[in-house]
Amino acid sequence: MAAKGKMNVEHLGGVARLREEHQKKVSGDYEALTERLQTLPDQLSYDIMVPFGPLAFMPGKLVHTNEVTALLGDNWFAKCSTKQAQKIVDHRMKYVKSEISDLSKTMKNFEARVGLVRDLESISSSKGDYVDIREDTENTGDIAVTKGKQRIAHKPNSKPKLDAVLDLKEEDEEKEGSRKCTTTEEELWARLDELEKQEELQDDHDRLSYNANMNGEDTSSLSSEEEKEGDAAPAVNGLAHSEAPPSSGRKADEEAAAAEEDDDEEEEGSCLPTIFFSHTIEPKKVRINTGKNTMLKFSERKEQKEHSKRKNKNGHSNGHSHHELHKITTPVDIYRLFVDVKNGEPVPRKSILKSRSRENSVCSDTSESSAADFEEGRRAVGRSFSHDETTQSDTSDGVTEEESPTAVPLHRASRFEAFSGTVVEKEPMPSAVPYLTISPPALPTILERKQEEVAPDVAPPQQAPKRLSKFKAARLQQN
Amino acid sequence: MAEALQKKLKAEVDKFTLMQKDVSKSMSARQKLETQLAENNIVKEELDLLDTTNTVYKLIGPVLVKQDLEEAKATVTKRLEYINGEIQRYESLLKDLEKKSDQHRELLSSLQQEYQKAQGLAVGKV
Repeated sequence: MAAKGKMNVEHLGGVARLREEHQKKVSGDYEALTERLQTLPDQLSYDIMVPFGPLAFMPGKLVHTNEVTALLGDNWFAKCSTKQAQKIVDHRMKYVKSEISDLSKTMKNFEARVGLVRDLESISSSKGDYVDIREDTENTGDIAVTKGKQRIAHKPNSKPKLDAVLDLKEEDEEKEGSRKCTTTEEELWARLDELEKQEELQDDHDRLSYNANMNGEDTSSLSSEEEKEGDAAPAVNGLAHSEAPPSSGRKADEEAAAAEEDDDEEEEGSCLPTIFFSHTIEPKKVRINTGKNTMLKFSERKEQKEHSKRKNKNGHSNGHSHHELHKITTPVDIYRLFVDVKNGEPVPRKSILKSRSRENSVCSDTSESSAADFEEGRRAVGRSFSHDETTQSDTSDGVTEEESPTAVPLHRASRFEAFSGTVVEKEPMPSAVPYLTISPPALPTILERKQEEVAPDVAPPQQAPKRLSKFKAARLQQN
Repeated sequence: MAEALQKKLKAEVDKFTLMQKDVSKSMSARQKLETQLAENNIVKEELDLLDTTNTVYKLIGPVLVKQDLEEAKATVTKRLEYINGEIQRYESLLKDLEKKSDQHRELLSSLQQEYQKAQGLAVGKV
């Protein structure tokens, strides 16, 4: 704007200057003319050299020195005496001078305007608008970081990083929540994230549809869920999608979880575009074949995506997982098998299943962020926890909203080893909840998360060791 | 899609430039009229100052034609009125042209956006 203003001013200034110069020249001419008029009638006649064309002169006389034919303007002439001519000249001079003054006034006006615009620009640039933007970038940066980490997740080391990221995110969220001025920008960012998620959801949907065909599940429901999720949560979900295996099936759980997640995500998304990995639901492995299983798997994926609220569904999903562990209808089942094979605990699953890593890392925005912290601690213990987390996330959601954890532990025991780990988590969750406030390994609902956000930084380290112990105990018990 | 949009965009841009030319033309004509108006005002004032003793001439080509003072005054007055009318006409014309050009501008911008979207989509697809 300032540049344009400057240009205009310069342009106008140039024009005004030109006119001013012209007027000045004219006035100079008129002054000379005045002088001539005054001296002319002094003599009756003058001997002069009359110019004949541009190259020749002729001696001659200037007579009727008092008669002057003056141009009035617009091709009108008037014959008058020198005195009258003088009057005309004076008149014209006045006019020219007024024109000059007008031009200079307009020039000053424009210059003032340009200066004002420049000042405004400088002021706006130096003000805190940028601050707000910075805030947004921080959040987005965190998200980006977390997202990246999430993908790496499988490695246990990555988890702690994710936790850190989550902490940051949480902090950012807090900050953002406190700042209302930035909300608009944040909202924009959230909106951007949502859009990204939507895109990712669509991609996943495509994948899922493909998988669904394979599995025979309802991909549409998944996609719808995804869409819901996408709409609600920021981009993190997109990441989850990428990581989530093509479990198209598990719609029922997912749908439920998605619905929950969506709600949660929406809540969370408003504050910050954090990545919400909702471990939701039950461990992936458990439900593979049947709708229930599939749902579980999908729910896990959702967690990856960052849905957090599997509140009610989690409990249900857990139950399903038990008896369908062994069925392999989707790749997830295979994963689970692998996991079991590796360690017998869900640990391997973590590596295999991105959701785990994400869970631990940061994926879940809502509950995961806080849960992530916990998850990381848990991961250290073993993947099993991660599974538990997934399940717990589901359960945690349930815990926050309901108290399904108890149900989950039962489920876990029946499931594969991996599941058992998840189940274990659920058990401690109820106990952990009171002091942790942050959702237990499972992704806590948004509500929980919020609390967690406040506390996670402090709690996670403490909780991690505790959780491990509990989980181990639970697992031991189950085993 | 993108190509069609591009063609549309070009056509609209051409139309817009034409309109801009018209606008500038009418603006310059109006400016000329304004200067003439000012000059005629001066002439009128001068004529008023003159008395019948001086003769008034009108320059028609290379010839200075003697004119009556009253006649000259009347002529100048009539010319003034005529110039005023022309200026008003041009002003209204200018307004219409500006409105049209603004509309066109908006259309252009929207088309541009569409085109960019289409391009973006194409890029994405590719």
